[in-house]
Amino acid sequence: MITRSRFIVALGLAILLVTSAGCTDSLNAGPLSYVDNDALTHELKGKANLAGKPALQAKVRAALARIFGESPQRIRVPENSGFPSGGLSLANFRQVGEGESARIEPIYHQLPDGRPDPNHRQTGGYGLYRRNCLHCHGVSGAGDGPTAAFLFPPPRDFRKGIYKFTSTPSGARPHRDDLTRTIRDGLSGTSMPAFDALMTPSEIQQAVDYVIFLSMRGETELALIEEGSISDENDTEALGEEILKELTAGVFDRWKSAQTQVMNPTIPRTKSDHESVIRGRDLFLGRTKEKLECAGCHGALAKGDGPSFVPVDVFNMVVFGGDPSTRPERVDALDETLKTLWNQKPDDWGNPLRPANLVKGVFKGGRRPIDIFWRIAKGINGAQMPAHYPTLNEAQIWDLVNFVLALPYDPDLLASPPPMPRPKLAEAGASR
Amino acid sequence: MVVRNWSFLFALVAVLSVAAFLYAPFSPDWWLPNPHSAPGHSVSSMGREIDLLFIVILLITGLVFIGTQVALVWEAFTFVDQLDEQGKPKRAASYFHGDNRLEIVWTLVPAVILVFITIYQFGTWARIKYPSRNPKVPPLAEITARQFQWVMRYPGPDGRLHSPDDLILINDLHFVKNQPTLIHLKSSDVIHSFFLPQFRLKQDAVPGLTIPVWFDSDTAGSFELACAELCGWGHYKMRGNVTVHETEAEFAKWTSERIGEQNRDQLDLATDGEAR
Repeated sequence: MITRSRFIVALGLAILLVTSAGCTDSLNAGPLSYVDNDALTHELKGKANLAGKPALQAKVRAALARIFGESPQRIRVPENSGFPSGGLSLANFRQVGEGESARIEPIYHQLPDGRPDPNHRQTGGYGLYRRNCLHCHGVSGAGDGPTAAFLFPPPRDFRKGIYKFTSTPSGARPHRDDLTRTIRDGLSGTSMPAFDALMTPSEIQQAVDYVIFLSMRGETELALIEEGSISDENDTEALGEEILKELTAGVFDRWKSAQTQVMNPTIPRTKSDHESVIRGRDLFLGRTKEKLECAGCHGALAKGDGPSFVPVDVFNMVVFGGDPSTRPERVDALDETLKTLWNQKPDDWGNPLRPANLVKGVFKGGRRPIDIFWRIAKGINGAQMPAHYPTLNEAQIWDLVNFVLALPYDPDLLASPPPMPRPKLAEAGASR
Repeated sequence: MVVRNWSFLFALVAVLSVAAFLYAPFSPDWWLPNPHSAPGHSVSSMGREIDLLFIVILLITGLVFIGTQVALVWEAFTFVDQLDEQGKPKRAASYFHGDNRLEIVWTLVPAVILVFITIYQFGTWARIKYPSRNPKVPPLAEITARQFQWVMRYPGPDGRLHSPDDLILINDLHFVKNQPTLIHLKSSDVIHSFFLPQFRLKQDAVPGLTIPVWFDSDTAGSFELACAELCGWGHYKMRGNVTVHETEAEFAKWTSERIGEQNRDQLDLATDGEAR
């Protein structure tokens, strides 16, 4: 009798211990740390890198830690980086004083008169980013968070400082409001959700600041790697103070100058009547003297199936037809014509691209006429959509905008297209 | 006597759980039924009916719960094992083989209660869910759920959906107070669930189906829309803002502002930072 009850007690204790072992913090992530850019330590074909240069690698890491902070949880606001709040929006605590007298105090939201509101602690860009964005965009903003692998198109890698949907000139950094719009309204047709109902306008601004911070850090890292790749590993002067100042100033200036370069159409949109839409259609089909090649990518029926890209079924087979890590093998299995086409058309991040199907009426960068105007006039950064201004004048761009906006509701606009030459479709694509 | 004391210890469990049950409505986390000022208070006509159903069920289950607890304590006390001076049981155990009357009673009583609840809620269910009982109004919007947002397509000035003047917004539901409002609910990928907690309304969005859903509100203000069906990794992000306008004119003003923004072709750089 007694032995059995001892046995039961022991069994009970064992179960209790085993189950309570799950109640530790051991599964929680420890302190976060930035992830190196691949080019810092790896040989990358055709790209500047610091593989095999440990002294320069250490210098890059030290410089980044000194300018931007050692870890995501210790942010340094770089001098002259131009954050509107002086960088206070990035964090929820700040260090006041240096050395022995240093202390940490919380950051509060500001009251309308500019004083801090003691009842309202600020979450800060880092905290908001960690909660809302990190699982896709990653700790360093490299687009490598744990959920990123499940998404297509993949989440943006901020470290190049290139953003697709902007209001600034082609290739320029985005305006803050471009990032605000992307976070607030999301990107239709992609996995980027709208955060309007999840963050207040002030919180969205904090998140924008943090995204810009990660971009600046990543751009500085890339600039240092590029500079280092042409420097001598044993040169103690390499990546010195002067160079560093010059590189970071370049990064910050690109962001600052973009804030004053928003492209605002000088003439209002042409009334969207039949004549304007037909003029836009003729521009689209290359029937004007500008000889636009829209149909080459977007297709003669604007279904995103032009001959400059591989056919949709081949694209789907390669991108979605199996394990993402074996994608290169599926590309290799294509015949030469298709492989050449495929390799011509990655975006700046090396991801496969697809021209928009304009008949669907899904516009990633927004459906306002001004959004479509920007897409046509200044192209899409990092993608194959080129800038058309000033090749086209603004009135012509408005005709195209009217055509693009009318198309989803009037598919007959392109019903009888002129014949387009197509490359021969190969067996490889169909052999899945 | 010592053995009998154990029944008091066991009674403690019953007393504590009954106390927790009775305290719950006074806890700050209680949401049903809510005083008018509390955040979870129902603001729709169907919400009040549903709250009433919840209370009826809560009363029935509460009475049964308290009754069973009392019976348990009483039995533990009354039928406790009693020993005489020699340590022999005072009372012999008796064995009996089933009791048909008892079986019938404890089958019939719950059955009657369940049938009562079924019949009692028929009217409410029909009023909310039967398409034939939907308000005869044109749909306010077509709402398409996708991973992970609600795409809301309002018909625009011409009153027709899927025409070039449609107003398309993300996660932003607006309608007018005291007007039965109908939406068409769709899904473009997986099953989602359209959940308006303050309206006590929940409806699955099913790929391939267009489901009419109606609701109303007796209170103007801001409310919450959530997805109530685990739909993927971003399920928790699938929230929306619901705004109930006081008057038709206020709603029309909002609509024309949003349509103006959707038709924006130039920036007003000096004044309009938000719109860019």
